[in-house]
Amino acid sequence: MFLAWNEIKKNKLRFTLIIGVLMLVSYLVFFLSGLANGLQQMNRESVDKWDSDAIILTDDSDKSLYQSSMDVSEVDEIDTDKIAVIGQMSTIARLDDMKINVSIFGINDDEFLMPNITDGKSFTEINEVIASDTLKDEGFKLGDILKLSSSDDSLTIVGFTSNARFNASPVLYTNLETLNAVKFGDYAEVNKDQINAIVIQSTDLSTIKTNEALEIVDTETFIQNLPGYTEQSLSLNFMIYFLFIISAVIVAIFLYVLTVQKISMFGIMKAQGISNAYLSKSIVAQTFILAAVGVTIGFALTLLTGAFLPSAVPVSFDLVKMLLNGLVLVIVAIAGAVFSVLTIVKIDPLKAIGG
Amino acid sequence: MTVLELNSVQKSFGTGHKKVDALKETNFKADRGELIAIIGPSGSGKSTLLTIIGGLLSPTSGDVTINKQNITSLNEKSRSKIRLKEIGFILQASNLIPFLTVHNQFKLLDKVKKDNMTDSELKQLCKDLGIEDLQNKYPADLSGGERQRVAIAKALYSNPSIILADEPTASLDSDKAYEVMDILKNETKNKNTTTIVVTHDIRLTSYCDKVFKMTDGVLALDNTLI
Repeated sequence: MFLAWNEIKKNKLRFTLIIGVLMLVSYLVFFLSGLANGLQQMNRESVDKWDSDAIILTDDSDKSLYQSSMDVSEVDEIDTDKIAVIGQMSTIARLDDMKINVSIFGINDDEFLMPNITDGKSFTEINEVIASDTLKDEGFKLGDILKLSSSDDSLTIVGFTSNARFNASPVLYTNLETLNAVKFGDYAEVNKDQINAIVIQSTDLSTIKTNEALEIVDTETFIQNLPGYTEQSLSLNFMIYFLFIISAVIVAIFLYVLTVQKISMFGIMKAQGISNAYLSKSIVAQTFILAAVGVTIGFALTLLTGAFLPSAVPVSFDLVKMLLNGLVLVIVAIAGAVFSVLTIVKIDPLKAIGG
Repeated sequence: MTVLELNSVQKSFGTGHKKVDALKETNFKADRGELIAIIGPSGSGKSTLLTIIGGLLSPTSGDVTINKQNITSLNEKSRSKIRLKEIGFILQASNLIPFLTVHNQFKLLDKVKKDNMTDSELKQLCKDLGIEDLQNKYPADLSGGERQRVAIAKALYSNPSIILADEPTASLDSDKAYEVMDILKNETKNKNTTTIVVTHDIRLTSYCDKVFKMTDGVLALDNTLI
């Protein structure tokens, strides 16, 4: 640490540049991870809010809530206490000139899918909805009457709830009667017992039996199968993994060039009896300082940027994940210092001092 | 008391008709408190001898003993420890770390070795060498003479048994070269160390207790130059 810190102090500009590069890489990693997290939240936050363990869908729905359709009487055959039914449709809600893609959840208000209300009241009458508070940010307010693209019916916002987006669309919670009315129109009466799925809370899914036409899908698998979810997450995660590799390579190149420039100096130190271990530790300590400072500044800069971003940007910072990413960046940077350590070990003090 | 002993030490490079005997069979002894000069033209084998004594180069045959320990058969790690404990190097281009202040050059040695000089001893040494006011300066801010004096202090700081100086005055003008030799002589006597100076400047031999002449790999005592 002694050599490492003193060299940094003496060569401020050189090391500031390295810290700057590491800061930019970490800023990009943190921002991408925030973006990945934000996009994941847009897809899954309403499902996470269910706090469920599994969802029962029809076997031929390919784990898609949209494609699953069953009779509400299926509930009677499922032997578990915590159970909730859900009907779902996607449509476009319109208010004056504002149009927004929404997902409507039809639920029973006495079951655990019922969301907490952050503003307004619960739905009690037909065509009343509790809306995701992201609609509030878009300019929607209590009492607004939403026209739907797929129905002649209108829905009135009577309350708002937080964390209610599903597959990137804000959710409107209503009762099953309203959902089926807007979903089936003239055929609502015939389909009044139709639901899309049954959501369950149970720690032991193996004990739950269903008929052969239904499939029990654990909640995480259900989320992973949301349209585009896995592809989106994988793409962004790959970018983050590549950035880890890039940062290791950048550090390796910078430190290697610096080490090569100092071969004679290291040789003199080795001639004086200073061990490879001490010199190697010094390089690792220096890399740690550079990476830790760069990553910390990148971390702070990311949070600062996040504070000024418009709400339309789907960024959500998970501090634990960011800290883990930061830790990985520091570790890969240290891994990048291995080339320099090997160079030092190979230096022949005799050649270095010109013998 | 004998600090350094070379018994039948020989060094060759290459094999067959390309074989070069850089150092022919050499026997050599150095006692505590001696300032010894090894002179000779470039390519005569002076630096080869110095690097063998310093444990940086292994002889082809023969033994090098420092304080009764044969260093010839030791591995690099053990020789490195011997260098740290027993030998102080003063090199032609000075052996200072460019990003450390004069004060931190000594502090670095404290980080890697325990039994160095005390603070008061170091203060006295710096005073003797006239570098007490340079403590916060970096090597680049020092003159050639100041750098060499700091390098001497650094070599002495770890209380070595042997100081090996390879052309320590090469980059200095005559006045500064004499000044450096004066310092080396005084410190050798005061600290009771053994100093071996490799040089091709015969004007400096008058400071020494013994002078050896190296010619084509053959080392011979030649006190006529004192």
